[in-house]
Amino acid sequence: MAHVLVTGIAGGLARRVAERLLARGDEVVGVDYREAPGAAGPGLERLTVRRASYNKTSIEDVFRHRRYDAVLHLGRVGNLKESVGKRFDLNVVGTQKIMNLCVAHGVRRLVVLSTFHIYGAHPSNHIPIFEDEPLRAGVEFPQIADAIQLDNMASTWVYRHPEVSTAVLRPTNVIGATLQNTMSRLLRWRRAPYVFGFNPMTQFVDEDDLAAAVLAAAGGDQAGVFNVAGPGALPWRTALRLVGARPYPVVPALARAYSFATAAAPPYLLRFLMYPCVISDAAFRKAFDWAPKVALGEALRRCVGGGAAGEGAAAAPRAT
Amino acid sequence: MRTDDLIDPEVDRAIDTLPNRLNEFGYDPWGLSPRHAKVYFSLAKQIYRYFRPEVRGVENVPEGRVLIVANHGGQLPFDGLVIAVACLLLARPPRLVRSMAERWVSTLPVVNEAFARSGVVLGDPINCRNILLDDQAILVFPEGAKGSGKVWKDRYKLRRFGRGFMRLALQTGSPVVPVSVVGSEEAIVSVYDWQGLARLVKAPYIPVSPLLPLLGPLAYLPLPVKFHLRFGEPMRFEGPFDDEDAAIDRKVDRVQSTLQRMIDEGLAARTSLFF
Repeated sequence: MAHVLVTGIAGGLARRVAERLLARGDEVVGVDYREAPGAAGPGLERLTVRRASYNKTSIEDVFRHRRYDAVLHLGRVGNLKESVGKRFDLNVVGTQKIMNLCVAHGVRRLVVLSTFHIYGAHPSNHIPIFEDEPLRAGVEFPQIADAIQLDNMASTWVYRHPEVSTAVLRPTNVIGATLQNTMSRLLRWRRAPYVFGFNPMTQFVDEDDLAAAVLAAAGGDQAGVFNVAGPGALPWRTALRLVGARPYPVVPALARAYSFATAAAPPYLLRFLMYPCVISDAAFRKAFDWAPKVALGEALRRCVGGGAAGEGAAAAPRAT
Repeated sequence: MRTDDLIDPEVDRAIDTLPNRLNEFGYDPWGLSPRHAKVYFSLAKQIYRYFRPEVRGVENVPEGRVLIVANHGGQLPFDGLVIAVACLLLARPPRLVRSMAERWVSTLPVVNEAFARSGVVLGDPINCRNILLDDQAILVFPEGAKGSGKVWKDRYKLRRFGRGFMRLALQTGSPVVPVSVVGSEEAIVSVYDWQGLARLVKAPYIPVSPLLPLLGPLAYLPLPVKFHLRFGEPMRFEGPFDDEDAAIDRKVDRVQSTLQRMIDEGLAARTSLFF
Protein backbone atom coordinates (compact mmCIF):
# COMPACT_ATOMS: atom_id res chain seq x y z
CA MET A 1 0.00 0.00 0.00
CA ALA A 2 1.29 3.41 -0.95
CA HIS A 3 0.31 6.96 -0.04
CA VAL A 4 -0.34 9.04 -3.12
CA LEU A 5 -1.24 12.70 -3.59
CA VAL A 6 -3.15 13.57 -6.76
CA THR A 7 -3.61 17.21 -7.81
CA GLY A 8 -6.42 18.46 -10.00
CA ILE A 9 -8.87 16.10 -8.29
CA ALA A 10 -11.88 18.08 -9.53
CA GLY A 11 -10.99 17.01 -13.05
CA GLY A 12 -12.06 13.83 -14.78
CA LEU A 13 -8.60 12.45 -15.42
CA ALA A 14 -7.40 12.82 -11.80
CA ARG A 15 -10.54 11.04 -10.60
CA ARG A 16 -9.93 8.17 -13.01
CA VAL A 17 -6.40 7.87 -11.70
CA ALA A 18 -7.57 8.05 -8.07
CA GLU A 19 -10.14 5.35 -8.76
CA ARG A 20 -7.45 3.01 -10.03
CA LEU A 21 -5.13 3.75 -7.12
CA LEU A 22 -7.89 3.14 -4.56
CA ALA A 23 -8.92 -0.05 -6.31
CA ARG A 24 -5.45 -1.48 -5.79
CA GLY A 25 -5.47 -0.49 -2.14
CA ASP A 26 -3.50 2.76 -2.06
CA GLU A 27 -4.30 5.63 0.28
CA VAL A 28 -5.16 8.60 -1.92
CA VAL A 29 -5.42 12.29 -1.09
CA GLY A 30 -6.83 14.50 -3.83
CA VAL A 31 -6.28 18.24 -3.90
CA ASP A 32 -7.67 20.97 -6.11
CA TYR A 33 -7.80 24.76 -6.11
CA ARG A 34 -11.44 24.44 -7.10
CA GLU A 35 -14.33 22.94 -5.16
CA ALA A 36 -14.07 19.21 -5.84
CA PRO A 37 -17.11 16.93 -5.64
CA GLY A 38 -15.43 15.07 -2.79
CA ALA A 39 -15.68 11.36 -2.33
CA ALA A 40 -18.83 11.16 -4.41
CA GLY A 41 -18.92 8.52 -7.08
CA PRO A 42 -18.40 4.78 -7.14
CA GLY A 43 -14.85 3.71 -6.47
CA LEU A 44 -13.97 6.99 -4.76
CA GLU A 45 -15.50 6.34 -1.32
CA ARG A 46 -12.13 6.20 0.41
CA LEU A 47 -10.75 9.29 -1.35
CA THR A 48 -9.67 12.14 0.92
CA VAL A 49 -10.25 15.50 -0.72
CA ARG A 50 -8.52 18.75 0.28
CA ARG A 51 -9.01 22.18 -1.21
CA ALA A 52 -5.90 24.31 -1.60
CA SER A 53 -4.44 26.68 -4.16
CA TYR A 54 -1.18 25.20 -5.41
CA ASN A 55 0.59 28.54 -5.01
CA LYS A 56 -0.66 29.32 -1.49
CA THR A 57 0.50 28.17 1.94
CA SER A 58 -2.54 25.91 2.29
CA ILE A 59 -0.89 23.40 -0.06
CA GLU A 60 1.98 23.09 2.43
CA ASP A 61 -0.40 21.72 5.00
CA VAL A 62 -1.52 19.02 2.59
CA PHE A 63 2.09 17.81 2.63
CA ARG A 64 2.47 18.13 6.44
CA HIS A 65 -0.68 16.11 6.94
CA ARG A 66 0.80 12.95 5.48
CA ARG A 67 3.93 11.45 4.04
CA TYR A 68 3.49 10.59 0.36
CA ASP A 69 5.33 7.95 -1.60
CA ALA A 70 4.28 9.52 -4.87
CA VAL A 71 2.81 12.81 -6.02
CA LEU A 72 0.88 12.94 -9.30
CA HIS A 73 0.64 16.54 -10.39
CA LEU A 74 -2.20 16.32 -12.88
CA GLY A 75 -3.68 19.70 -12.03
CA ARG A 76 -2.39 21.87 -14.87
CA VAL A 77 -5.00 24.53 -15.52
CA GLY A 78 -6.18 24.66 -19.13
CA ASN A 79 -6.10 27.72 -21.27
CA LEU A 80 -9.82 28.43 -21.33
CA LYS A 81 -10.49 27.99 -17.65
CA GLU A 82 -8.67 30.92 -16.06
CA SER A 83 -7.05 34.24 -16.94
CA VAL A 84 -3.35 34.41 -17.84
CA GLY A 85 -2.42 35.80 -14.43
CA LYS A 86 -4.21 33.11 -12.48
CA ARG A 87 -2.85 30.38 -14.76
CA PHE A 88 0.65 31.65 -14.15
CA ASP A 89 0.10 31.55 -10.39
CA LEU A 90 -1.35 28.05 -10.41
CA ASN A 91 0.67 26.43 -13.17
CA VAL A 92 4.07 28.01 -12.72
CA VAL A 93 4.28 29.26 -9.13
CA GLY A 94 2.09 26.39 -7.94
CA THR A 95 4.07 23.68 -9.71
CA GLN A 96 7.30 25.09 -8.34
CA LYS A 97 5.82 25.03 -4.85
CA ILE A 98 4.63 21.45 -5.21
CA MET A 99 8.03 20.34 -6.49
CA ASN A 100 9.79 22.08 -3.59
CA LEU A 101 7.44 20.40 -1.16
CA CYS A 102 8.24 17.04 -2.74
CA VAL A 103 11.92 17.63 -2.00
CA ALA A 104 11.26 18.89 1.52
CA HIS A 105 9.05 15.95 2.41
CA GLY A 106 11.13 13.23 0.84
CA VAL A 107 8.67 12.22 -1.90
CA ARG A 108 10.36 9.56 -4.00
CA ARG A 109 8.33 9.71 -7.20
CA LEU A 110 6.75 12.71 -8.94
CA VAL A 111 4.73 12.63 -12.14
CA VAL A 112 3.94 15.98 -13.79
CA LEU A 113 1.29 16.11 -16.47
CA SER A 114 2.28 18.59 -19.16
CA THR A 115 0.81 18.75 -22.68
CA PHE A 116 1.84 18.30 -26.31
CA HIS A 117 0.35 21.72 -27.06
CA ILE A 118 3.68 23.27 -26.14
CA TYR A 119 5.27 21.86 -29.32
CA GLY A 120 2.83 24.00 -31.27
CA ALA A 121 1.14 23.20 -34.56
CA HIS A 122 3.49 24.67 -37.10
CA PRO A 123 3.84 24.33 -40.90
CA SER A 124 7.43 23.20 -40.47
CA ASN A 125 6.62 20.35 -38.06
CA HIS A 126 8.03 17.06 -39.22
CA ILE A 127 6.38 13.77 -38.26
CA PRO A 128 6.74 12.50 -35.62
CA ILE A 129 8.01 14.94 -32.99
CA PHE A 130 10.28 13.62 -30.23
CA GLU A 131 10.78 14.90 -26.70
CA ASP A 132 14.00 16.83 -27.24
CA GLU A 133 12.61 19.10 -29.94
CA PRO A 134 11.93 22.84 -29.70
CA LEU A 135 8.68 24.04 -28.16
CA ARG A 136 7.35 26.30 -30.89
CA ALA A 137 3.94 27.14 -29.48
CA GLY A 138 5.08 30.29 -27.71
CA VAL A 139 6.38 31.90 -30.87
CA GLU A 140 2.93 32.73 -32.14
CA PHE A 141 0.87 32.37 -28.99
CA PRO A 142 2.56 33.92 -25.96
CA GLN A 143 -0.54 33.18 -23.90
CA ILE A 144 0.56 29.55 -23.71
CA ALA A 145 3.74 30.65 -21.88
CA ASP A 146 2.50 29.27 -18.55
CA ALA A 147 2.25 25.75 -19.97
CA ILE A 148 5.70 25.99 -21.55
CA GLN A 149 7.23 27.29 -18.34
CA LEU A 150 5.55 24.60 -16.27
CA ASP A 151 7.04 21.98 -18.57
CA ASN A 152 10.49 23.61 -18.64
CA MET A 153 10.56 23.89 -14.87
CA ALA A 154 9.56 20.27 -14.37
CA SER A 155 12.02 19.09 -17.04
CA THR A 156 14.89 20.97 -15.40
CA TRP A 157 13.79 19.56 -12.06
CA VAL A 158 14.36 16.05 -13.40
CA TYR A 159 18.09 16.76 -13.43
CA ARG A 160 18.42 19.22 -10.57
CA HIS A 161 16.74 17.00 -8.02
CA PRO A 162 17.53 13.39 -8.80
CA GLU A 163 16.42 12.51 -5.24
CA VAL A 164 12.83 13.03 -6.41
CA SER A 165 12.55 10.75 -9.39
CA THR A 166 10.43 12.85 -11.78
CA ALA A 167 8.63 11.90 -14.99
CA VAL A 168 7.10 14.67 -17.09
CA LEU A 169 4.37 13.47 -19.44
CA ARG A 170 3.34 15.32 -22.58
CA PRO A 171 0.15 13.62 -23.73
CA THR A 172 -1.55 14.33 -27.04
CA ASN A 173 -5.28 15.23 -27.11
CA VAL A 174 -6.81 13.41 -24.16
CA ILE A 175 -10.46 12.63 -24.75
CA GLY A 176 -13.15 10.92 -22.72
CA ALA A 177 -16.77 11.03 -21.69
CA THR A 178 -15.94 12.40 -18.23
CA LEU A 179 -13.49 15.06 -19.46
CA GLN A 180 -14.36 18.71 -19.90
CA ASN A 181 -11.22 19.77 -21.77
CA THR A 182 -11.51 21.76 -24.99
CA MET A 183 -10.96 18.82 -27.33
CA SER A 184 -13.48 16.53 -25.64
CA ARG A 185 -16.11 19.27 -25.63
CA LEU A 186 -15.38 20.16 -29.27
CA LEU A 187 -15.96 16.54 -30.30
CA ARG A 188 -19.26 16.40 -28.43
CA TRP A 189 -20.70 19.33 -30.37
CA ARG A 190 -23.25 18.51 -33.01
CA ARG A 191 -21.53 20.97 -35.32
CA ALA A 192 -17.79 21.33 -35.06
CA PRO A 193 -15.32 23.61 -36.84
CA TYR A 194 -12.54 22.80 -39.26
CA VAL A 195 -10.25 25.25 -40.97
CA PHE A 196 -11.05 25.49 -44.67
CA GLY A 197 -8.47 23.73 -46.85
CA PHE A 198 -6.71 22.04 -43.92
CA ASN A 199 -7.15 18.57 -42.50
CA PRO A 200 -4.12 17.67 -40.40
CA MET A 201 -3.32 14.28 -38.93
CA THR A 202 -4.48 14.36 -35.32
CA GLN A 203 -3.81 12.00 -32.42
CA PHE A 204 -6.11 11.14 -29.54
CA VAL A 205 -5.59 9.15 -26.38
CA ASP A 206 -8.48 7.80 -24.33
CA GLU A 207 -8.79 8.99 -20.71
CA ASP A 208 -8.53 5.42 -19.42
CA ASP A 209 -5.37 4.81 -21.42
CA LEU A 210 -3.87 8.04 -20.10
CA ALA A 211 -4.87 7.10 -16.55
CA ALA A 212 -3.07 3.80 -17.07
CA ALA A 213 -0.09 5.71 -18.45
CA VAL A 214 0.03 7.95 -15.36
CA LEU A 215 -0.09 4.88 -13.13
CA ALA A 216 2.63 3.19 -15.14
CA ALA A 217 4.78 6.30 -14.81
CA ALA A 218 4.03 6.53 -11.09
CA GLY A 219 5.05 2.92 -10.59
CA GLY A 220 8.19 3.15 -12.70
CA ASP A 221 11.54 4.62 -11.77
CA GLN A 222 12.70 6.22 -15.02
CA ALA A 223 13.09 9.97 -14.80
CA GLY A 224 12.71 12.19 -17.85
CA VAL A 225 10.32 13.81 -20.27
CA PHE A 226 7.97 11.55 -22.22
CA ASN A 227 5.41 12.03 -24.97
CA VAL A 228 2.23 9.98 -24.69
CA ALA A 229 0.69 9.65 -28.15
CA GLY A 230 -1.95 6.94 -28.00
CA PRO A 231 -3.00 4.53 -30.72
CA GLY A 232 -2.36 6.56 -33.88
CA ALA A 233 -3.34 9.52 -36.03
CA LEU A 234 -6.19 10.35 -38.37
CA PRO A 235 -7.30 13.50 -40.19
CA TRP A 236 -9.35 15.97 -38.15
CA ARG A 237 -12.40 15.83 -40.40
CA THR A 238 -12.34 12.03 -40.33
CA ALA A 239 -12.45 12.24 -36.53
CA LEU A 240 -15.44 14.58 -36.75
CA ARG A 241 -17.22 12.20 -39.09
CA LEU A 242 -16.57 9.29 -36.73
CA VAL A 243 -18.21 11.12 -33.83
CA GLY A 244 -21.12 12.11 -36.06
CA ALA A 245 -20.48 15.85 -35.88
CA ARG A 246 -21.40 18.06 -38.81
CA PRO A 247 -18.20 19.90 -39.75
CA TYR A 248 -18.40 23.55 -40.77
CA PRO A 249 -15.53 25.52 -42.29
CA VAL A 250 -13.71 28.45 -40.74
CA VAL A 251 -11.71 30.58 -43.19
CA PRO A 252 -8.01 30.51 -42.15
CA ALA A 253 -7.70 34.29 -42.16
CA LEU A 254 -10.65 34.56 -39.78
CA ALA A 255 -9.59 31.75 -37.44
CA ARG A 256 -8.51 34.12 -34.69
CA ALA A 257 -11.64 36.22 -34.97
CA TYR A 258 -13.72 33.03 -34.87
CA SER A 259 -11.93 31.89 -31.76
CA PHE A 260 -12.59 35.15 -29.92
CA ALA A 261 -16.17 35.40 -31.13
CA THR A 262 -17.27 31.90 -30.15
CA ALA A 263 -14.80 31.03 -27.35
CA ALA A 264 -14.99 27.52 -28.81
CA ALA A 265 -11.26 27.01 -28.67
CA PRO A 266 -8.27 29.20 -27.84
CA PRO A 267 -6.59 30.52 -31.01
CA TYR A 268 -3.51 28.34 -30.53
CA LEU A 269 -5.74 25.29 -30.60
CA LEU A 270 -7.21 26.25 -33.96
CA ARG A 271 -3.68 26.01 -35.33
CA PHE A 272 -3.87 22.32 -34.43
CA LEU A 273 -6.73 22.10 -36.93
CA MET A 274 -4.38 23.45 -39.62
CA TYR A 275 -0.94 21.93 -39.09
CA PRO A 276 0.04 18.51 -37.83
CA CYS A 277 1.61 18.02 -34.42
CA VAL A 278 2.10 14.27 -34.42
CA ILE A 279 4.26 13.06 -31.55
CA SER A 280 6.14 9.81 -30.94
CA ASP A 281 5.78 7.99 -27.62
CA ALA A 282 8.28 5.25 -28.40
CA ALA A 283 10.39 6.29 -25.38
CA PHE A 284 7.45 6.15 -22.98
CA ARG A 285 6.27 2.75 -24.19
CA LYS A 286 9.75 1.34 -23.79
CA ALA A 287 10.41 2.88 -20.37
CA PHE A 288 7.11 1.93 -18.75
CA ASP A 289 5.92 -1.04 -20.77
CA TRP A 290 2.68 0.77 -21.59
CA ALA A 291 0.52 0.53 -24.70
CA PRO A 292 -2.90 2.04 -25.37
CA LYS A 293 -5.78 -0.43 -25.16
CA VAL A 294 -8.49 1.74 -26.70
CA ALA A 295 -8.35 2.06 -30.50
CA LEU A 296 -8.76 5.48 -32.11
CA GLY A 297 -12.30 4.97 -33.36
CA GLU A 298 -13.43 3.58 -30.05
CA ALA A 299 -11.81 6.41 -28.09
CA LEU A 300 -13.70 8.93 -30.22
CA ARG A 301 -17.01 7.13 -29.81
CA ARG A 302 -16.52 6.82 -26.04
CA CYS A 303 -15.82 10.53 -25.80
CA VAL A 304 -19.15 11.46 -27.31
CA GLY A 305 -20.98 8.81 -25.32
CA GLY A 306 -21.48 6.38 -28.15
CA GLY A 307 -20.36 3.46 -26.00
CA ALA A 308 -17.64 1.01 -26.87
CA ALA A 309 -18.39 -0.17 -30.36
CA GLY A 310 -15.18 -1.85 -31.44
CA GLU A 311 -15.74 -1.53 -35.16
CA GLY A 312 -12.39 -0.04 -36.15
CA ALA A 313 -11.93 -0.50 -39.86
CA ALA A 314 -15.62 -1.11 -40.49
CA ALA A 315 -16.26 2.50 -39.57
CA ALA A 316 -13.65 3.81 -41.99
CA PRO A 317 -15.02 6.90 -43.68
CA ARG A 318 -15.58 7.54 -47.35
CA ALA A 319 -13.43 9.70 -49.58
CA THR A 320 -12.82 13.42 -48.93
CA MET B 1 -20.43 12.18 -59.74
CA ARG B 2 -18.58 10.10 -57.16
CA THR B 3 -14.87 10.65 -56.74
CA ASP B 4 -14.31 6.94 -57.31
CA ASP B 5 -15.49 7.37 -60.92
CA LEU B 6 -12.45 9.54 -61.55
CA ILE B 7 -10.03 6.75 -60.71
CA ASP B 8 -7.97 5.54 -63.62
CA PRO B 9 -7.77 1.70 -63.68
CA GLU B 10 -4.02 1.72 -64.31
CA VAL B 11 -3.46 4.04 -61.33
CA ASP B 12 -5.83 1.92 -59.26
CA ARG B 13 -3.90 -1.28 -59.94
CA ALA B 14 -0.51 0.33 -59.34
CA ILE B 15 -1.50 1.87 -56.00
CA ASP B 16 -3.01 -1.42 -54.85
CA THR B 17 0.42 -3.05 -55.12
CA LEU B 18 2.14 -0.53 -52.82
CA PRO B 19 3.51 -1.93 -49.57
CA ASN B 20 2.95 1.22 -47.44
CA ARG B 21 1.89 0.51 -43.87
CA LEU B 22 -1.44 2.11 -43.01
CA ASN B 23 -3.56 2.38 -39.90
CA GLU B 24 -7.12 1.05 -39.62
CA PHE B 25 -8.44 4.19 -41.29
CA GLY B 26 -6.14 3.85 -44.28
CA TYR B 27 -3.59 6.56 -43.45
CA ASP B 28 0.14 6.51 -42.85
CA PRO B 29 1.59 8.83 -40.17
CA TRP B 30 2.35 11.57 -42.73
CA GLY B 31 -1.22 11.59 -44.01
CA LEU B 32 -0.80 9.47 -47.14
CA SER B 33 -4.08 7.78 -48.04
CA PRO B 34 -3.99 5.39 -51.02
CA ARG B 35 -7.76 5.78 -51.37
CA HIS B 36 -7.41 9.53 -51.92
CA ALA B 37 -4.10 9.15 -53.74
CA LYS B 38 -5.87 7.13 -56.44
CA VAL B 39 -8.04 10.14 -57.26
CA TYR B 40 -5.18 12.63 -57.18
CA PHE B 41 -2.87 10.40 -59.22
CA SER B 42 -5.64 9.83 -61.79
CA LEU B 43 -5.88 13.62 -62.22
CA ALA B 44 -2.09 13.82 -62.28
CA LYS B 45 -2.03 11.23 -65.05
CA GLN B 46 -4.09 13.59 -67.23
CA ILE B 47 -1.50 16.32 -66.68
CA TYR B 48 1.24 13.75 -67.33
CA ARG B 49 -0.35 12.92 -70.68
CA TYR B 50 -0.58 16.61 -71.55
CA PHE B 51 3.23 16.74 -71.49
CA ARG B 52 3.54 13.46 -73.51
CA PRO B 53 6.68 12.40 -71.60
CA GLU B 54 9.27 10.20 -73.18
CA VAL B 55 10.72 8.18 -70.30
CA ARG B 56 14.01 6.27 -70.45
CA GLY B 57 15.88 4.26 -67.84
CA VAL B 58 13.09 3.86 -65.30
CA GLU B 59 14.45 0.36 -64.65
CA ASN B 60 17.38 2.11 -62.96
CA VAL B 61 15.14 2.79 -59.95
CA PRO B 62 16.22 0.05 -57.54
CA GLU B 63 13.95 -1.70 -55.06
CA GLY B 64 14.02 -0.41 -51.50
CA ARG B 65 15.23 2.94 -50.25
CA VAL B 66 16.37 5.39 -52.89
CA LEU B 67 16.83 9.12 -53.36
CA ILE B 68 15.65 10.34 -56.75
CA VAL B 69 17.37 13.61 -57.56
CA ALA B 70 16.16 15.82 -60.40
CA ASN B 71 16.53 19.28 -61.89
CA HIS B 72 13.84 21.76 -60.90
CA GLY B 73 12.27 24.43 -63.11
CA GLY B 74 9.14 25.73 -64.77
CA GLN B 75 7.65 27.66 -61.82
CA LEU B 76 5.10 24.99 -60.85
CA PRO B 77 6.22 21.48 -59.86
CA PHE B 78 5.08 19.68 -63.01
CA ASP B 79 8.52 18.05 -63.05
CA GLY B 80 7.78 16.39 -59.72
CA LEU B 81 4.34 15.34 -60.85
CA VAL B 82 5.61 13.75 -64.06
CA ILE B 83 8.42 11.90 -62.24
CA ALA B 84 5.96 10.65 -59.61
CA VAL B 85 3.48 9.38 -62.21
CA ALA B 86 6.27 7.77 -64.23
CA CYS B 87 7.55 5.94 -61.14
CA LEU B 88 4.04 4.77 -60.28
CA LEU B 89 3.03 3.59 -63.74
CA LEU B 90 6.31 2.53 -65.34
CA ALA B 91 8.62 1.34 -62.56
CA ARG B 92 8.55 -2.38 -61.71
CA PRO B 93 7.39 -2.81 -59.02
CA PRO B 94 5.39 0.45 -59.03
CA ARG B 95 6.91 3.04 -56.72
CA LEU B 96 5.14 5.80 -54.85
CA VAL B 97 7.83 8.44 -54.56
CA ARG B 98 7.54 10.71 -51.57
CA SER B 99 8.27 14.21 -52.83
CA MET B 100 9.90 16.65 -50.46
CA ALA B 101 7.91 19.88 -50.37
CA GLU B 102 8.84 23.40 -49.36
CA ARG B 103 7.66 24.50 -45.92
CA TRP B 104 5.58 27.09 -47.74
CA VAL B 105 3.42 24.35 -49.29
CA SER B 106 2.12 23.33 -45.85
CA THR B 107 0.48 26.74 -45.53
CA LEU B 108 -1.50 26.54 -48.80
CA PRO B 109 -5.15 25.65 -48.17
CA VAL B 110 -6.46 22.60 -50.07
CA VAL B 111 -3.09 22.06 -51.79
CA ASN B 112 -1.45 20.93 -48.54
CA GLU B 113 -4.13 18.31 -48.04
CA ALA B 114 -4.08 16.99 -51.61
CA PHE B 115 -0.29 16.76 -51.43
CA ALA B 116 -0.26 14.98 -48.08
CA ARG B 117 -2.85 12.41 -49.20
CA SER B 118 -0.75 11.73 -52.32
CA GLY B 119 2.39 11.05 -50.32
CA VAL B 120 4.15 14.42 -50.42
CA VAL B 121 5.88 15.26 -47.14
CA LEU B 122 7.52 18.35 -45.71
CA GLY B 123 11.15 18.44 -46.87
CA ASP B 124 12.70 18.02 -43.47
CA PRO B 125 15.70 15.83 -42.60
CA ILE B 126 13.79 13.86 -39.97
CA ASN B 127 10.86 13.10 -42.30
CA CYS B 128 13.29 12.19 -45.04
CA ARG B 129 15.37 9.89 -42.86
CA ASN B 130 12.34 8.08 -41.44
CA ILE B 131 10.95 7.46 -44.92
CA LEU B 132 14.26 6.16 -46.27
CA LEU B 133 14.68 3.90 -43.24
CA ASP B 134 11.23 2.55 -44.14
CA ASP B 135 12.69 1.58 -47.56
CA GLN B 136 10.62 4.06 -49.51
CA ALA B 137 11.61 6.27 -52.46
CA ILE B 138 12.14 9.97 -52.02
CA LEU B 139 12.14 12.66 -54.69
CA VAL B 140 14.33 15.67 -53.97
CA PHE B 141 15.12 18.77 -55.92
CA PRO B 142 18.41 19.82 -54.35
CA GLU B 143 18.19 23.18 -56.12
CA GLY B 144 15.17 23.97 -53.95
CA ALA B 145 12.79 26.80 -54.70
CA LYS B 146 15.54 28.82 -56.32
CA GLY B 147 15.64 26.11 -59.01
CA SER B 148 11.91 26.07 -59.52
CA GLY B 149 11.75 29.85 -59.89
CA LYS B 150 14.50 30.04 -62.51
CA VAL B 151 13.94 32.66 -65.21
CA TRP B 152 14.07 31.83 -68.93
CA LYS B 153 17.72 32.71 -69.51
CA ASP B 154 18.81 30.40 -66.65
CA ARG B 155 16.79 27.35 -67.74
CA TYR B 156 18.63 24.01 -67.45
CA LYS B 157 21.56 25.61 -65.65
CA LEU B 158 21.55 23.77 -62.35
CA ARG B 159 21.67 26.01 -59.31
CA ARG B 160 24.10 24.99 -56.61
CA PHE B 161 22.77 21.81 -54.96
CA GLY B 162 22.17 21.71 -51.23
CA ARG B 163 24.05 19.15 -49.13
CA GLY B 164 21.13 17.73 -47.17
CA PHE B 165 20.25 14.97 -49.61
CA MET B 166 23.82 13.66 -49.67
CA ARG B 167 24.08 13.54 -45.89
CA LEU B 168 20.82 11.56 -45.82
CA ALA B 169 22.01 9.23 -48.57
CA LEU B 170 25.17 8.53 -46.57
CA GLN B 171 23.38 8.20 -43.26
CA THR B 172 20.76 5.75 -44.54
CA GLY B 173 22.92 3.96 -47.14
CA SER B 174 20.54 4.97 -49.92
CA PRO B 175 21.55 5.03 -53.59
CA VAL B 176 21.02 8.26 -55.55
CA VAL B 177 19.28 8.04 -58.92
CA PRO B 178 19.73 11.22 -60.98
CA VAL B 179 16.80 12.09 -63.24
CA SER B 180 17.07 14.70 -65.97
CA VAL B 181 13.84 16.39 -66.99
CA VAL B 182 13.99 18.26 -70.29
CA GLY B 183 10.95 20.29 -71.26
CA SER B 184 9.79 21.17 -67.76
CA GLU B 185 11.89 24.29 -67.46
CA GLU B 186 10.09 25.79 -70.47
CA ALA B 187 6.54 24.88 -69.37
CA ILE B 188 5.81 28.23 -67.79
CA VAL B 189 7.97 31.07 -69.02
CA SER B 190 9.24 33.57 -66.50
CA VAL B 191 11.50 36.48 -67.38
CA TYR B 192 11.57 38.11 -63.99
CA ASP B 193 11.26 36.98 -60.39
CA TRP B 194 9.22 39.60 -58.57
CA GLN B 195 10.77 39.18 -55.11
CA GLY B 196 9.07 42.26 -53.67
CA LEU B 197 5.61 40.77 -54.13
CA ALA B 198 6.87 37.30 -53.20
CA ARG B 199 7.99 38.56 -49.78
CA LEU B 200 4.67 40.27 -49.29
CA VAL B 201 2.63 37.11 -49.88
CA LYS B 202 5.31 34.90 -48.27
CA ALA B 203 5.86 32.91 -51.47
CA PRO B 204 9.37 31.80 -52.44
CA TYR B 205 9.13 33.58 -55.83
CA ILE B 206 6.62 35.24 -58.16
CA PRO B 207 7.26 34.57 -61.86
CA VAL B 208 6.49 37.32 -64.38
CA SER B 209 5.55 35.94 -67.78
CA PRO B 210 6.36 37.87 -70.96
CA LEU B 211 2.99 36.72 -72.29
CA LEU B 212 1.19 38.52 -69.46
CA PRO B 213 0.15 41.62 -71.51
CA LEU B 214 -1.15 39.36 -74.27
CA LEU B 215 -2.85 36.57 -72.31
CA GLY B 216 -3.42 37.89 -68.81
CA PRO B 217 -3.58 35.11 -66.22
CA LEU B 218 -3.68 32.52 -69.02
CA ALA B 219 0.04 33.25 -69.44
CA TYR B 220 0.56 30.98 -66.44
CA LEU B 221 -0.99 27.93 -68.06
CA PRO B 222 1.80 25.50 -68.92
CA LEU B 223 2.74 25.34 -72.58
CA PRO B 224 2.23 21.91 -74.21
CA VAL B 225 5.96 21.24 -74.22
CA LYS B 226 7.12 17.63 -74.51
CA PHE B 227 8.92 16.24 -71.46
CA HIS B 228 11.98 13.99 -71.81
CA LEU B 229 12.83 12.07 -68.65
CA ARG B 230 15.99 10.08 -68.27
CA PHE B 231 16.70 8.04 -65.17
CA GLY B 232 20.45 7.59 -64.72
CA GLU B 233 22.29 4.68 -63.16
CA PRO B 234 22.12 4.55 -59.35
CA MET B 235 25.09 6.29 -57.72
CA ARG B 236 26.33 4.92 -54.40
CA PHE B 237 28.34 6.91 -51.90
CA GLU B 238 30.28 5.95 -48.82
CA GLY B 239 31.70 7.93 -45.94
CA PRO B 240 30.57 9.64 -42.75
CA PHE B 241 27.34 11.59 -43.13
CA ASP B 242 28.55 14.25 -40.70
CA ASP B 243 31.76 14.91 -42.62
CA GLU B 244 32.85 18.49 -43.13
CA ASP B 245 31.04 20.49 -45.80
CA ALA B 246 33.93 20.38 -48.28
CA ALA B 247 33.96 16.56 -48.27
CA ILE B 248 30.18 16.40 -48.74
CA ASP B 249 30.43 19.03 -51.49
CA ARG B 250 32.76 16.80 -53.52
CA LYS B 251 30.13 14.02 -53.49
CA VAL B 252 27.32 16.48 -54.24
CA ASP B 253 29.34 17.83 -57.16
CA ARG B 254 29.53 14.35 -58.67
CA VAL B 255 25.73 14.12 -58.64
CA GLN B 256 25.30 17.66 -59.93
CA SER B 257 27.80 17.26 -62.79
CA THR B 258 26.28 13.89 -63.76
CA LEU B 259 22.83 15.41 -63.85
CA GLN B 260 24.02 18.50 -65.75
CA ARG B 261 25.62 16.22 -68.35
CA MET B 262 22.41 14.21 -68.69
CA ILE B 263 20.44 17.45 -69.14
CA ASP B 264 22.87 18.76 -71.74
CA GLU B 265 22.68 15.48 -73.67
CA GLY B 266 18.89 15.59 -73.49
CA LEU B 267 18.85 19.16 -74.80
CA ALA B 268 21.25 18.31 -77.63
CA ALA B 269 19.17 15.31 -78.67
CA ARG B 270 15.94 17.27 -78.65
CA THR B 271 14.76 18.51 -82.05
CA SER B 272 11.74 20.55 -81.00
CA LEU B 273 10.22 22.05 -77.92
CA PHE B 274 6.88 20.43 -78.66
CA PHE B 275 7.67 17.07 -80.34
